[in-house]
Amino acid sequence: MNRRLWFSLIGVVLIVVVALVGNLATGNTPILGLDLQGGVSVILAPVEPASSDDLIVIRDLIRNELENRGIAEPDVRVQGETIVVDLPGVRDQQEALDAVDVSGVVELRPVLNFSDCPAPDAADSVPGDSVPADSVPEPTAPGNELLPTRDGSVQCVGPAQGTGEVFVRGSADLTGDSGWGVAVGLRSDGQATWNNLANQCYEMTPTCPSTQPGIRGQIAIVLDSVIQSSPQVNQPNFGDSVAITGSFSRGEAEDLAAVLNRGAFPVEVEAQEARTVSASAGADSLNAAIIAGLIGVALVLTFLVAYYRWLALVIVGGLTIWAMMVFSLAAFVSSWTNYALSLAGVTGIIVAVGVTVDSYVVFFERIKDELRNGRTVKNAAPRSFKMTWRTIWSADLVSVIGALILFWLSVGSVRGFALYLGLTTICDLLVCYFFTRPAVLLLSRSKLMARRERVLGVEVATA
Amino acid sequence: MTANDAIATSGFGRLFRGQTAIDFYGHRRVGLIIAIVVIVVTLLSLSTRGLNLGLDFEGGDAWDVPASEMFGVDEAEEVLNDNGISTTGSRIQRRTSETTDVITVQVEEVPADVALAVTDDFAAAAGVTAQDISFSFTSSTWGSEITEKALRALIIFLIVVSIFISIRFEWRMAVAALVAMAHDVVVTVGVYSVLQFEVTPATVIAFLTILAYSLYDTIVVFDRIRENEGKYAGVRMPYEDVVNISMNQVLMRSINTSLSSILPVISLLLIGAGLLGADTLAEFALALLVGMLSGVYSSIFVATPLLATLKADAGRKTRRERLTGDDLRAAVIGAGVTGRVSGQSSSKSKGGDDLDDAKAAASSNETSVVQPVDRLLSHAPRPRKKKRR
Repeated sequence: MNRRLWFSLIGVVLIVVVALVGNLATGNTPILGLDLQGGVSVILAPVEPASSDDLIVIRDLIRNELENRGIAEPDVRVQGETIVVDLPGVRDQQEALDAVDVSGVVELRPVLNFSDCPAPDAADSVPGDSVPADSVPEPTAPGNELLPTRDGSVQCVGPAQGTGEVFVRGSADLTGDSGWGVAVGLRSDGQATWNNLANQCYEMTPTCPSTQPGIRGQIAIVLDSVIQSSPQVNQPNFGDSVAITGSFSRGEAEDLAAVLNRGAFPVEVEAQEARTVSASAGADSLNAAIIAGLIGVALVLTFLVAYYRWLALVIVGGLTIWAMMVFSLAAFVSSWTNYALSLAGVTGIIVAVGVTVDSYVVFFERIKDELRNGRTVKNAAPRSFKMTWRTIWSADLVSVIGALILFWLSVGSVRGFALYLGLTTICDLLVCYFFTRPAVLLLSRSKLMARRERVLGVEVATA
Repeated sequence: MTANDAIATSGFGRLFRGQTAIDFYGHRRVGLIIAIVVIVVTLLSLSTRGLNLGLDFEGGDAWDVPASEMFGVDEAEEVLNDNGISTTGSRIQRRTSETTDVITVQVEEVPADVALAVTDDFAAAAGVTAQDISFSFTSSTWGSEITEKALRALIIFLIVVSIFISIRFEWRMAVAALVAMAHDVVVTVGVYSVLQFEVTPATVIAFLTILAYSLYDTIVVFDRIRENEGKYAGVRMPYEDVVNISMNQVLMRSINTSLSSILPVISLLLIGAGLLGADTLAEFALALLVGMLSGVYSSIFVATPLLATLKADAGRKTRRERLTGDDLRAAVIGAGVTGRVSGQSSSKSKGGDDLDDAKAAASSNETSVVQPVDRLLSHAPRPRKKKRR
């Protein structure tokens, strides 16, 4: 039994120390937020004049798109005629420009042909891919283009007859009744546009002919000159929603839904330039928070040592391990995502110290109760831990549930909060079980405790 | 042994030894009335004054001023101060690229004439003409969508937590915990509304922190109630007594934990914001402080009395007066853990207030309060066997 406890105690200390040293050695530290460290700002401007409402719409779309791509907590706002995107944790201006390259309008174009396009400009747009073949007579209206599809083949499509704006923003969703598919809502003002195109394809007019026998015309959904999907039109008129089904895999359907959802950029925007942004709160605030936090924690520890005497050593050790663990995990998370630690996050962690200390307080108060009832320290410790553990995991589980749900469903800084709430709580649970438990149990069996007549201010029964 | 069990004479001594006998349930009305008053004040303030939403929620004005040797972030701050614009609600950043180097100043919306004056002052301070400074409107960064998503997540979280508490404990505890949590958030929002502090995204984070803290604190208290409930199931202890006993038993823990949580926040407020002058910390720390104090208060004076009230209505018959004074103390000590009850504490309780109509196992020559506990816990702790593995 003792051996297992030592194993757990030494194991957790080793793992945490190695993780911390590893992180420090590789210079892997948590990314700090815009307010603390600054970042890179990208200025986007619409290519044609846009109303302020449009800009607000674009702002929300850009933020969504960034979050979908795993860029956390971007600060997106409309300033004057431009959209300013501030990215935390990005040092490189080019990296930022690439990250923010989310503009692009989704176009709806009729499919003309599966192999090639006779229109001369088509060959330019996809060099090398197309073999001009004039044996196939096709309408060669200007605006026809040969575009690649996602799986690498090419299709010839006619001029755009509508944009992604016909769809209700954010309404595209997966359907899974008979194979994966996507259902998307049609806006009342977009319905006419969509139905006009759909009708041509259904009737197989020359502008949207049948490409294969027995198959009606197809509408290509094009984003940034790549055909995302070209569904066949099976009905001439659509009500307020469109269902796209086919031989999709789940991932393909998800991608298509994402394209349809983002396709609602009312105006195309272009990145103008990237600038490095200085911290807004500044190093002073971070230092002040850290100094004040450390003083606060020192006060807490002083209080606990005065109150719990010897056992408080376990708290000091446990909190150190906890802090190292949180740091390592935060650094780890930062290297995978770019969730940044803002000033609010730093103070949140300082507050989490209080909750972490609580697990010790609950434990030690329980031991005190047991001692008062005449148990020996050796006897009281394991019993107390059993009861304490129940309390701690119930209470911590609520925080973890909260963290998971908030992380899963919310966006922006709320998500960052959830991440750090979850991290600190899970570290608390781990430290409680793998460090505090063995430490206190071993201490309770040690000669040090056996010799003492009073523990925690309570006289100890001798066994 | 005997020395342990002597009742301490001083209040602190009792607290330290876990011998307090405070009739929390008896004072529940005081607690509830304070809570209701606070909530009413908050609602009144919210409806009349509302919240002071910051730059990130409402947008504002922005200036791009060319930066130079003589004009930096500090100088921009000075200009704002000279024009009577609060710098805590503003955001001043230096933005640089190969071709440009500007100081971007964003403030909450100011009247047009003030904006003009500020533009001129910036121009003077930076040594450029007013035409070189671009002045524009800046939108909020916190769109309604973020709020909607956060609210939706919060509602789902609360539902899941209610289910969790209902399964782990019982639904009445879920109700009580959520009411206490709502109380804490309302109190904190109230502070922001009454004092007209600026609400920033950090404030929202503070609110969420308080929410999580409040739930955590309440559940720790409820866990003890749950445990004691099982312990007294056999003697049909009235729920108010179970609540009172549990509250007294966890009192020391509550105080220690609150101190441990609140000390760092006070330090942030006094040292960080006060001495080191990090203004951004001040309001955040204050929100946390108020919220956490409220969290501790509500788990004792809102959640538990509410729970007892809910349970009292749930059909359990009260057969006698609530335990108070020394009887309560005896129960608190005796039931500290599943250990032995000392003779002294059981002799302290008298059969006097026992209005029990005595059909339970309790009706022997001893009192109904301590005796069954005694029986329940009569075995002495068994020394642990020395096993070596």
